[in-house]
Amino acid sequence: MTKSSYIDLPPTRRPLKIFAFDPMLGRAANQRITIEIANEPDLQIGPRGSRVEVIDYDGANKCYYTPVDLNAPGVLMRGGLDPNESVPCFHQQMVYAVAMKVIENFERALGRRISFRYNQKLRIFPHAFQGANAFYDPDSLALFFGYFQADKLNPGPNLPGQTVFTCLSHDIIAHEMTHALVDRLRKYFIEPSNRDVSAFHEGFSDIVAIFQHFSFPDILRGLIQETRSDLRSPTPLIELAREFGYATGQGRALRSAVDTSKTNGSGGGAGAHGKPDPRLYESVFEPHERGSILVSAVFEAFFNTYQKRIKDLIRIATGGTGQLPAGDLHPDLVNRIAAEASSTAQSILTMCIRAFEYLPPVDITFGDYLRALVTADFELSPADENGERAAMIEAFRERGIYPDNVTSLAEESLIWESAEGEGFPDFEKELIDQLVVGAQLLGRSSSRDPFMAPPSESEASQFTNQSYDSTDPAHDEYGIDLQKSVKEELARYARDNAVKLGLCPGRKITVRGFHPAFRVGADGQLLIEMVAQFTQRDDPKANQDFGGVPVRGGTTVIASAEGKVRYVISKPLYSKELSDEKKKHAQERIERQLSFVDECDRADPHIAWYGSTEEKEYRNRIARTMNFAAVHRGIRR
Amino acid sequence: MKNTAEHVIVRMYNVGFGDSFLLFIPTPEGTRKILFDCGVHFQSKKPRPIQEVAQQIVDDARDEDGVSRIDVIVVTHRHQDHVKGFESSAWNEVEVKEVWMPWTENPKDKMGREILEKQSGNAKTLHSTVQRLLAAAAASDEDQQKLRRMEGLAMNSLTNEKAMTMVHEGFAGKPRRVFLPFEKREENTFTRDFLPGVKIHAMGPSRDPEVIRDMDPPAEETYRHLAFALGGEAVESHMPFRSLWTLDEVGYLAAGGAEPLSEKDKEKLHTMSDEDSWGLAVALEKAVNGTSLLLMLQIGDAYLLFPGDAQWGTWNSAMMDKEWRRLLSKTTFYKIGHHGSHNATPKSFVSKLLPENFWAMACTGPTANWTDTIPLPNLMSDLRSHSPKVVRSDKDDDPAAEQHFTREQHGYFVDAKIPIYSDSDA
Repeated sequence: MTKSSYIDLPPTRRPLKIFAFDPMLGRAANQRITIEIANEPDLQIGPRGSRVEVIDYDGANKCYYTPVDLNAPGVLMRGGLDPNESVPCFHQQMVYAVAMKVIENFERALGRRISFRYNQKLRIFPHAFQGANAFYDPDSLALFFGYFQADKLNPGPNLPGQTVFTCLSHDIIAHEMTHALVDRLRKYFIEPSNRDVSAFHEGFSDIVAIFQHFSFPDILRGLIQETRSDLRSPTPLIELAREFGYATGQGRALRSAVDTSKTNGSGGGAGAHGKPDPRLYESVFEPHERGSILVSAVFEAFFNTYQKRIKDLIRIATGGTGQLPAGDLHPDLVNRIAAEASSTAQSILTMCIRAFEYLPPVDITFGDYLRALVTADFELSPADENGERAAMIEAFRERGIYPDNVTSLAEESLIWESAEGEGFPDFEKELIDQLVVGAQLLGRSSSRDPFMAPPSESEASQFTNQSYDSTDPAHDEYGIDLQKSVKEELARYARDNAVKLGLCPGRKITVRGFHPAFRVGADGQLLIEMVAQFTQRDDPKANQDFGGVPVRGGTTVIASAEGKVRYVISKPLYSKELSDEKKKHAQERIERQLSFVDECDRADPHIAWYGSTEEKEYRNRIARTMNFAAVHRGIRR
Repeated sequence: MKNTAEHVIVRMYNVGFGDSFLLFIPTPEGTRKILFDCGVHFQSKKPRPIQEVAQQIVDDARDEDGVSRIDVIVVTHRHQDHVKGFESSAWNEVEVKEVWMPWTENPKDKMGREILEKQSGNAKTLHSTVQRLLAAAAASDEDQQKLRRMEGLAMNSLTNEKAMTMVHEGFAGKPRRVFLPFEKREENTFTRDFLPGVKIHAMGPSRDPEVIRDMDPPAEETYRHLAFALGGEAVESHMPFRSLWTLDEVGYLAAGGAEPLSEKDKEKLHTMSDEDSWGLAVALEKAVNGTSLLLMLQIGDAYLLFPGDAQWGTWNSAMMDKEWRRLLSKTTFYKIGHHGSHNATPKSFVSKLLPENFWAMACTGPTANWTDTIPLPNLMSDLRSHSPKVVRSDKDDDPAAEQHFTREQHGYFVDAKIPIYSDSDA
């Protein structure tokens, strides 16, 4: 390497400053931190990068705000603009930094690059509107953040009437960004077909937001000292969106990873530091509150693993007693504990995201998620050296979350049934070669993701005006040749093996995605897997009212690098050709979706006030809740 | 001796969109009378003024000695369409023994008071916001209708103070105020000396958290934010940054910004700050309905069910109770919940519990802003598929049903004669 090429080589990382939590907590100097994200060499003013672009248009005041140039020398020398509430350029920097951090976490866990549909950029509007709300909008592929004035009567530690920016809350940004990524990975998880679907979207987004806190070393060290290593204590570390919660007059953070013991007795998964309440999973219905059950389960698995991992450190530090003396902890001990906490958190977060490859394409339940977690982790580290998997199973069990159709909660029965020995033909060698070529292409930012089926015209516009087109939008549109051949080959495979895959042979099968995933196992081995998703759609009977939400079936197929089918995870539609067990499963899913519609109706105050049951608004009443603006409007309740 | 000729008469008054039912119960000691509600919605088309209906009820309740007596007045909940008629001074002469109300009305009940205060405070905020917007009159026709509908819901939930003063303090005969259900489950089946042969089952609203959730409207701040967002206090939207940071499109492009936003995108952003005002209005309406009493009167073999406008929480908690469930499955008369709306009659009650051939009455009528909404045609037809004896107060929409009832010649009321003893027992 010549001297000049060494100097000219763009740095791989870019440091940027953010509020660790939000401006309310950020008044203390040590809560303003620097995070590092991948340096995008072609980053434009905005900032506009290869995957996300920040557009600072204020819809309420109908104006733009000065866009930031993160490559300006003055900005670069400081390692990014300093945190400042009154400068919009800093806001742009912070949403960009946090959004990219979330993408990075997903890519690390999944072992592949993620791009959005059509290789479009996700647009981020940090000051889109006035209102205490922020949401991801799949239709315009954008995140919209609102700003509002803090409650005048009950502002908490904020000034009465002070402007609060949702785009300055790390948690809100991370939460919304996760919605966008989940939507990218599993498009149909936006369709509420059972109680858990929307709750999963919400809970998972909270998990990502909370676990990212643990990647801020200074914050973590400070709080470990403060709580004397008990990370369950109520600190900003495990709470979400404090400023937002106080500013909207709730007198507390928006949500927490542990017990929330609200007066109405709902939300959260555990009593005050105490026992989780399995009845909540039976009774809690609102998506954020139900999502909190998932969050508390994952957090408890984290906490138990973490405690196990620091036990030896504490024994060493206390001469074997394990009893910490009064007073401050030794800074070396704090450092070591912080390192353990941070690596445990990262490994739990990675585990949570990695599970995505093992999820069915439609109709998820928390039970499915547990099975996916266990399977994905088992594939990577069969021995469970750190006991994370066992801790996860236990935490779910204590909250009454049981998967359907498993005989026990032993690890062996939670792992998805193996497809080996079921007589599946291998995937064609040619297909796998195409995937590898595609993976190389994907490494370059300019190319589109050849593995996700692009949406058709009708699909792209289906959320416009909040109506939902009742015709299936998922028609094939192959796009580039590589993709076309891959898709045709896969579609043929699915048709040939439909019954075994739990697909209905008489119905159209849509290829929803095909990815390679590259990961390094605990033993240092490279693990390569192929993940294919197929979906189908049912025609509801005239007397069945799903409120406009389609009934879908689908199958995720996991194959090894040699093309051998390892797991088949299916949500079948009813078909007489299927096995009795699958037919029963299909029937149960329909009934569950119908009773879910009933539950929604009971809770919905609008229901009394529709014009008639023939009205379009009424027929699509559940589908119309499929936008995050509406769901998040409930966040103030 | 059972007299198979004996009937309870349930008289449903045609108040418009509202509720009012007077029961005449034959007993060995003479006819006893129970009134359920007397109100009308202010936006309802009114067949005649509610004061006239009130006066007629007072007159209908007159005994041979000329004194108007109603043994029990039941106020299921404090919505205007259930209490408006109590503003009339005609009630001053009526001798009443007891007034029954939901526990949320008990001034000594802390939680009840909190719930009421929150509900009426929110109604006040919402109402004044809507009033201000209506006065501004800049709204389009479509917005006007939306505002009128919101006004209707907000008005309905205001304190209705004048009527509620009568309910809490008025009537002749120094009536006792009773708040139901009682705290102890076993006390909720009870009798009264002055109602021989009548057993009362107070099935709801319980204090179950799920039931209380139904009564709990969104937080006060939400309504205050709405008032703010809809232009209550601020004249203009406020600027979050100093003007030196703001740019027009030309300036934005010159500063290196991305290509300009499309008109479609801008339109989307311009309308984004709209709060879900309608959502808040219906949520409040539902919360007050959630306080509704769910009562069953058992008279001989007749089981008369009056759910007011009870919501799912109350129904569910009653259906989960073994004894209440058994009683519900014997229902012979059903006052159709919430004027026949979609969410006040659970499907599982109709399909699993309600026995065939029941009597059912819907007290309802068109309102200025909802025509043909309530009662929902398919709820009525669903009920009619289980029994031919389903009638509505405002019109004769099913001649086959009509023969089972007696409609007053001016259409002022409809009587149902419910046999006290079933034929099989005769």
